[in-house]
Amino acid sequence: MRSLLFVISLICFCSQTALSWKKEEFRSCDQTPFCKRARSRTPGACSLIVGDVSITDGDLVAKLLPKTPNQDDGDQIKPLVLSLSVYRDGIVRFRVDEDHSLNPPKKRFRVPDVVVSEFEEKKIWLQKVATETISGDTSPSSVVYVSDGYEAVVRHDPFEVYVREKSGDRRRVVSLNSHGLFDFEQLGKKTEGDNWEEKFRTHTDSRPFGPQSISFDVSFYDSSFVYGIPEHATSFALKPTKGPGVEESEPYRLFNLDVFEYDHESPFGLYGSIPFMVSHGKSGKTCGFFWLNAAEMQIDVLANGWDAESGISLPSGQSRIDTLWMSEAGIVDTFFFVGPEPKDVVKQYASVTGTSAMPQLFATGYHQCRWNYKDEEDVAQVDSKFDEHDIPYDVLWLDIEHTDGKRYFTWDSVLFPHPEEMQKKLAAKGRKMVTIVDPHIKRDDSYFLHKEATHMGHYVKDSSGKDFDGWCWPGSSSYIDMLSPEIREWWGGRFSYKNYAGSTPSLYIWNDMNEPSVFNGPEVTMPRDALHVGGVEHREVHNAYGYYFHMATSDGLVMRGEGKDRPFVLSRAIFPGTQRYGAIWTGDNTAEWEHLRVSIPMILTLGLTGITFSGADIGGFFGNPEPELLVRWYQVGAYYPFFRGHAHHDTKRREPWLFGERNTELMRDAIHTRYMLLPYFYTLFREANLTGVPVVRPLWMEFPQDEATFSNDEAFMVGDGLLVQGVYTKGTTHASVYLPGKESWFDLRNGKTYVGGKTHKMDAPEESIPAFQKAGTIIPRKDRFRRSSSQMDNNPYTLVVALNSSQEAAGELYIDDGKSFEFRRGAYIHRRFVFSNGVLTSTNLAPPQARLSSQCLIDRIILLGHSSGPKSAFVEPLNQKAEIEMGPLRMGGLVASSGTKVLTIRKPGVRVDQDWTVKIL
Amino acid sequence: MRVVVLSSSVSFSLQLSFLLILLVSVIRSNSSPSNDPFLGISPQDEKYYKSSSEIKCKDGSKKFTKAQLNDDFCDCSDGTDEPGTSACPSGKFYCRNAGHSPTVLFSSRVNDGICDCCDGSDEYDGQVTCPNTCWEAGKAARENLKKKIETYNQGLVIRRQEIEKAKVGLEKDAAELKKLKSEEKILKGLVEQLKDRKEQIEKVEEKERLQKEKEEKEKKEAESAAHEGKGDTEEKTDDSEKVEESTNDEGVPGVSQHDENPHDTTHHDEIGNYKDYPSDEEPAAEAEAEPTSILEEATHTNPADEHVVDTKEETPSSEDSVTEGLQNDDDTKKEESDEVKKMDDLVTEKKEELSKEELGRLVASRWTGEKSDNPTEADDSPKVDIQENHEHTPITPHEVEEDDGFVSDSDDTSDDGKYSDHEPEDDSYEEEYRHDSSSSYKSDADDDVDLSETTSNPTWLEKIQKTVKNILLSVNLFQTTPVDKSEADRVRKEYDESNSKLNKIQSRISSLEKKLKQDFGPEKEFYSFHGRCFESKQGKYTYKVCSYKEATQEEGYSKTRLGDWDKFENSYQFMSYTNGDKCWNGPDRSLKVKLRCGLKNELTDVDEPSRCEYAAILSTPARCLEDKLKELQQKLEKLMNQDKPQNHDEL
Repeated sequence: MRSLLFVISLICFCSQTALSWKKEEFRSCDQTPFCKRARSRTPGACSLIVGDVSITDGDLVAKLLPKTPNQDDGDQIKPLVLSLSVYRDGIVRFRVDEDHSLNPPKKRFRVPDVVVSEFEEKKIWLQKVATETISGDTSPSSVVYVSDGYEAVVRHDPFEVYVREKSGDRRRVVSLNSHGLFDFEQLGKKTEGDNWEEKFRTHTDSRPFGPQSISFDVSFYDSSFVYGIPEHATSFALKPTKGPGVEESEPYRLFNLDVFEYDHESPFGLYGSIPFMVSHGKSGKTCGFFWLNAAEMQIDVLANGWDAESGISLPSGQSRIDTLWMSEAGIVDTFFFVGPEPKDVVKQYASVTGTSAMPQLFATGYHQCRWNYKDEEDVAQVDSKFDEHDIPYDVLWLDIEHTDGKRYFTWDSVLFPHPEEMQKKLAAKGRKMVTIVDPHIKRDDSYFLHKEATHMGHYVKDSSGKDFDGWCWPGSSSYIDMLSPEIREWWGGRFSYKNYAGSTPSLYIWNDMNEPSVFNGPEVTMPRDALHVGGVEHREVHNAYGYYFHMATSDGLVMRGEGKDRPFVLSRAIFPGTQRYGAIWTGDNTAEWEHLRVSIPMILTLGLTGITFSGADIGGFFGNPEPELLVRWYQVGAYYPFFRGHAHHDTKRREPWLFGERNTELMRDAIHTRYMLLPYFYTLFREANLTGVPVVRPLWMEFPQDEATFSNDEAFMVGDGLLVQGVYTKGTTHASVYLPGKESWFDLRNGKTYVGGKTHKMDAPEESIPAFQKAGTIIPRKDRFRRSSSQMDNNPYTLVVALNSSQEAAGELYIDDGKSFEFRRGAYIHRRFVFSNGVLTSTNLAPPQARLSSQCLIDRIILLGHSSGPKSAFVEPLNQKAEIEMGPLRMGGLVASSGTKVLTIRKPGVRVDQDWTVKIL
Repeated sequence: MRVVVLSSSVSFSLQLSFLLILLVSVIRSNSSPSNDPFLGISPQDEKYYKSSSEIKCKDGSKKFTKAQLNDDFCDCSDGTDEPGTSACPSGKFYCRNAGHSPTVLFSSRVNDGICDCCDGSDEYDGQVTCPNTCWEAGKAARENLKKKIETYNQGLVIRRQEIEKAKVGLEKDAAELKKLKSEEKILKGLVEQLKDRKEQIEKVEEKERLQKEKEEKEKKEAESAAHEGKGDTEEKTDDSEKVEESTNDEGVPGVSQHDENPHDTTHHDEIGNYKDYPSDEEPAAEAEAEPTSILEEATHTNPADEHVVDTKEETPSSEDSVTEGLQNDDDTKKEESDEVKKMDDLVTEKKEELSKEELGRLVASRWTGEKSDNPTEADDSPKVDIQENHEHTPITPHEVEEDDGFVSDSDDTSDDGKYSDHEPEDDSYEEEYRHDSSSSYKSDADDDVDLSETTSNPTWLEKIQKTVKNILLSVNLFQTTPVDKSEADRVRKEYDESNSKLNKIQSRISSLEKKLKQDFGPEKEFYSFHGRCFESKQGKYTYKVCSYKEATQEEGYSKTRLGDWDKFENSYQFMSYTNGDKCWNGPDRSLKVKLRCGLKNELTDVDEPSRCEYAAILSTPARCLEDKLKELQQKLEKLMNQDKPQNHDEL
């Protein structure tokens, strides 16, 4: 009986923990000594000044020295080395590190393999430093050229670095240490009596080098809001975390963690960290600040008036947002991006960390996932149900249970006895499969991977130098040390068809748990004093661990395909640069309306900070969505860059056909909408690949002057042509939609016109969420559906031309083979369509040597907003007439199919890969 | 026509394949859209398209010309104008599939590179060449259909027999019930009389006893009076008065003699209580409520734990180790036994290390809840409940019977254990059944055996009546005189026996009444399901589905309830079991058994398509319906007719 009670109480204990995230298991700022220390500093506390300024190797180099000479006690502040470099397009890189010539106990960690190699090519070799005494200062400052409009200032005393406009008032753009909060704790050598250990709950961090944190303030000028620093489940415009009127007093935390059932409104750090912040203001100007650092970071957004009593006078008349940046370790390696346009900032950031990889076409379609599709029969059944209900999908996913006892690269021989055959069956319909491969390796001596990794010493070590042993899905596990390029290469080799038995060319990979998640570690992750190659402490590399893992896997797939097949790897952990290696999703969300709502600011933030290929689990990972929520989620999710349905294994099945005919129809229509727009999405992915401008954008990226858009995170732009407003409330059939700008908008559902610069109240029936095409844009579509995206290759295109008030419109279309790297060698089609003076023209945007042909026709051109009622059009060079008649805006859609008629050019017969004109008669 | 098909074996095959090739080529040449403007249109629909030169979209949205029919451009949003192409997303493509049955495809399948129609007509753009497989597929389909019809034919016969048997069985049940009720009435009267008599006797006995005591006391008093006072006597008298009062007022039978009885009565009540909560909700809730508070305590102490950990060094706080110990207790069970040993060692030796491993498991369990899957772990709670509160489940049939006796008067309890429906008359029939169906068996085979003996003997009641009469008469004679010990015992024995018989009859009555209330289907075709279980072994689990009762999943000695019998659903296409054992982090388990026509009662394909929602298939003659048979026959006829043109072509 006693034991019985025991058991029962245990069950309750477990189920209780299952209810929500355990806040107390994670550190608050107060429980994080470096954060607490940095936060308690007062403005002006920094006593360092700049000296020994010189130009070395094209950089401005100087020393940061204590203003007052060191006392004779042991706590000497050694001079720090400072360097400032300038890159083309308005980028300033500012670094501070310990002086290696003074023999610090060890080298501080500099994050490798994040800044792209091409970045160095952009460097502007500085020739000279100008000096200037800022008004009120007693000593001069150093000024260097940045670009035609901007220059960088290194103020010597007090120490400050900022970028300012060259002309006019020389207005500041971004500054560092203008409040004197800069602090740089230098590595220590442990002597007797030093106790640097830190304890949290049952864990002890040995901290052999003592406190080594860095903190400073950064100010953004002419700024109404700041954005960025994912990953948090919060509003898009970042709310202040400290200062007058702020109750919640936690900074935004950047520490990659596996947070069980996260809250939808919390500054708490989630699975990924990108220390990149963007500001935007009324002037329409944008600037950015990025700190390349992989240690735990905490960032305060300071409420107006936080420094009221500091006595520090900053340039007035410039609305300003101050922020406080704190990191546990690493160096100061920061980037200032001057903008001034929103798209300039994301491009500047992309030139440092890279643009997003060009995905395969299939990856932009719909993905069906569940923990778990149980066995081959289940897979076949789900696959055939999609066909039965005429719902296209591209990828079926297998979660951890497909393996033999959570040993990755293996298959459960009972449930999945014929993995290759299974994948081939899917491939016959143009469909792919994704299996999960996590970084924790089961410590099982009979497991080939563990044997090899142990033998070769590929595991992360614990503080005593033994292979780190932590708990994850398989039980006792070790973690591959992804920091080492050699080990990454070895890891990549595991994905060859030979090494990964049962894999086929249509199999791709999912990297989960790569924060890394360690169930019995401090805060469910790896101890900070675990050791990576070269004696790097885990604390220094933590936030980048998952990134290196993602990189290794992605590179492994490239190797597998002999460089001919674009990899697809989904990762949960993120870091700057992740965009180069694959897609990410927002982790284990919950089937609640608020989680649907917060998915938009999360995706907007990720896109703004480089990671455009992202999405949230449709329906919510935990819990059971009511059909209405699921339908609404599909309707919004159809516009996520990464579109995947996923569910926890305790939830009820929720494939789109399980909620009655009507709901099936609604979800099918949502998925169809996505497939219809695939040519547009693919073109946008190419734009992101070329420039870094995200697929899904905040409204203000397209309308930088429109203040009403600055904090709008319920609506979003897909490219420059579509505005989508989600429905995030149960039982709602109306929506208020703010349509920015001066031009009109056309309702995608019925072609109805709405004027811009106004909030419209409109119907949002269950069939669809409001979505609009901006006047002046041309959107390419494919109106025929197939089982999967690759089957749509030969289908004809539709162009939807939405004319603006001057009867003009423009748009683009990008096409390649959808899978290989041949596009890098020019095998692609890139067209620009311009409608002007009653003529629609298709011109080539690809370089002349580009070579890809397509038999595909444009068989329908829809004109929205045309001022007259033309009857025919003349097509050249075909030299033939095409009829113009009234037709539906969308074929077979739930809403648009009935009623509305729009001008339709019937069968112009032009090829998608050729120059042509269509003249309206 | 039928003859042709059946004879198309060896001699025909060569000729046939030649003709098939011809046929395929005909289809091919005919299938380019320009050559066949009516591609993808069903024969019934051809008229619609051929009637006029201007054709209306079926949804009335538009008109289109004949030239626009199948011109690979979608004019009608409902797809009317493009039955033979993929141009309209909502279009439908009709494949004739000569030699097999026609199919209708989504337009998305036309020219998508995959052969969907067996005649290959959906792929005509030259991307792929589709062989015509209709003949083979059609033949296979027809064979299948024939087999199915054969099954239905045979199943229908069995089903009719079942219905007949059900009729007889139900009549018997009704007759038995009637008989039992009249017997109950008589027996009740007898028991009442015996009870009265017994009480009278006991009163007399009591009087005698008191008298005797008094006498003895007086004797003693007399003796002791010589030595002491008389306080003792007063006390004694008081006591005895009290006893007398209680016996009189309450009239509880045999209080003085059967000391256990009052105790039994309360026990009885308790069981009755449990029975009021057939789904165990109440006990489960109680069981949960208690530990919740424990848990709360644990959570509350958490910050304190931290504090302790912060200040002390190596040693984890005592609370911590307790909770961790608890957790460990739970967790180790799911691991292999050597793991358990290891962990146990760790408990005593290295608390620190244990807590790490254990912490890992705990955190993992948040996502997985996997513990619940394993019947020896977290999910034990419902199981424990079963063992505590369901002592009357068929696991322990003896207890079942005993309990039955006690709870017989609580009529509307829906719990198990009371299905004492075994009818000896049916034995032969049951035997027969057991032979043909290995997966089914009777669950409560040994219920009420003694009762059936008695009920089968028509004279038992008369005997009792006679005996009682005799007793009453004989005892009456001695009413005033001192009680004859043997007579009194006889009365008591007779009372006990009759009373127990009455209880049994009542129990039988209530179970019969309950049985007769069950839904046996429109023709009572499921009557024979009553009291039977169907079993299927899948991997390490044995699934047991007991109709009108419960469904379980058993692994070794551990048992998980998948649900209690709820009802038939979808006009008897499904049997539904609900309110099974609760799932960790999930719903209560439930099971839906799909019923389909088969010659034997056979449980197959048990599956868990969604977490803790089970599904299974039960083949049974009860579902071999005449209407369905007719439907199948028509379908076959149609298929055979369809072959006609082809066969015709051959000849």
